[in-house]
Amino acid sequence: MTASEFKEFVRSHGTKKAAEEVDVVTTGTFGAMCSSGAYINFGHSEPPIKMQKIWLDGVPAQAGLAAVDGYIGATALDETNNMAHGGAHVIEALVRGKAVRLRATGYGTDCYPRKEIDTYISLRTVNQAVLMNVRNSYQNYAAATNSGPKTLYTYMGKLLPEFGNATFSSAGELSPLLNDPYYRTIGIGTRIFLGGAQGHVIWEGTQFNPGAPRTPNGVPKRPAGSLAVVGDLKQMSPEFLKGLTFTRYGSSLGLGIGVPIPILDEEMAKCCAVTDRDILAAVFDYGQPTRSRPVLKEVSYSELRSGEIDIKGKRVPTSSLSSIFKARQVSEVLKSWILKGEFMIQEPVQSFPKDRSVKTLDVRTEREAT
Amino acid sequence: MKTKVVLTFSPEASNQPITHNLIAKHSLMVNILRAEIDEVGGKMVLELSGKADHIKGGIDYLKASGVGVRPIKEGVRRDDDACTHCGMCVSICPTKALTIDLKSGKVSFNEEKCVACGVCIDACPPRAMEILI
Repeated sequence: MTASEFKEFVRSHGTKKAAEEVDVVTTGTFGAMCSSGAYINFGHSEPPIKMQKIWLDGVPAQAGLAAVDGYIGATALDETNNMAHGGAHVIEALVRGKAVRLRATGYGTDCYPRKEIDTYISLRTVNQAVLMNVRNSYQNYAAATNSGPKTLYTYMGKLLPEFGNATFSSAGELSPLLNDPYYRTIGIGTRIFLGGAQGHVIWEGTQFNPGAPRTPNGVPKRPAGSLAVVGDLKQMSPEFLKGLTFTRYGSSLGLGIGVPIPILDEEMAKCCAVTDRDILAAVFDYGQPTRSRPVLKEVSYSELRSGEIDIKGKRVPTSSLSSIFKARQVSEVLKSWILKGEFMIQEPVQSFPKDRSVKTLDVRTEREAT
Repeated sequence: MKTKVVLTFSPEASNQPITHNLIAKHSLMVNILRAEIDEVGGKMVLELSGKADHIKGGIDYLKASGVGVRPIKEGVRRDDDACTHCGMCVSICPTKALTIDLKSGKVSFNEEKCVACGVCIDACPPRAMEILI
């Protein structure tokens, strides 16, 4: 069953019957996932080059991985900071089957004498093209609003002045990690839906923070867990992988991720029965440009989805940055794969650590950092 | 009847009292939804109310005065293939022309309500909204 269908089933039949009758619940999310990128092995030229600097359609990619491997980050921009065409847009162009211009320079060695190359590549011409993202599918996120006098352009979208609107970014009750709050079934090795293809969870996501405050039913109220994921870019679809632009912030990758959750027991059924009413997000004031922004209040996702929330007595219109329409599509496609026997549920080979917390970056002396 | 039109002016046409003439000479009710002027001319979004033949007469007058007249539907366009239905545009649209349907999860664009203010253009992450005026 999809997560939506499962919640409906639990409402009419309860968790006991749900645990007996349902094997797997398919979750889904589609949102801006900035901590994404792709590594590509371009193949060797004649004569060969050890690439020291790489550009794909003008967007710099990371070199320094031997000779012809590069990593292009979703938020990478060219030297003009053209936000309408960042790394995410280059990745989307590749997935659309387009040719992308590759320029690279090297310093020349006895074994790699070539010093520059200017050519075109596509997913057809390269060896590997692999989406490998270090932090995706956040378990809950935040809501953003702006108390200040000017419109703010943020990674949480356009925030109008004087609490003119509020935005949020989670698929809520459909979101993978909110249906498995203590990571009982999702771990390293879990097979997932990634950008329209099959991929895997490869590690806990960066900034993994299982100790975030939770409601009595265990659902985190702040950004908590996240996933590091990997999948074959050559199998992905532009329907579930899209270059995005956040004005005056930069580019990001709109990505669909779905995770199947096996209903091991009634406890797991209770977890997957969670609804938007039970999931809370903190509303942060982005009018304060600090990493410790004040929390104005906590609201449920059902309030956020209603179109308006109350902030300091004002009715504030809300917007989602995460597409529920696409999240549902992800959960439906994943369900159809499982029913057709095309997608096998993979038990994690290792659980996520329980003891991670999020550290800050401070200006320190060498001694303080040691 | 009511209709919404987008007017574009050259600097010369900007100097005529066209709103006054629409009201006084063509018996129309005029609601100015948006107006701006700069060194290359002006733009205005009007809602015209009145009898059908008066509206036609008013529009003919505008065209004869050198004012560009286009229906509001040609003000802002959505690329339905690019839209991911995230809903970012919903909370910033001042006229609620963009709304999200909770059942289908889809964002719909009601062109009749749009006043071509353009607030949605740079807010749309997949850049699905385009302003044509």
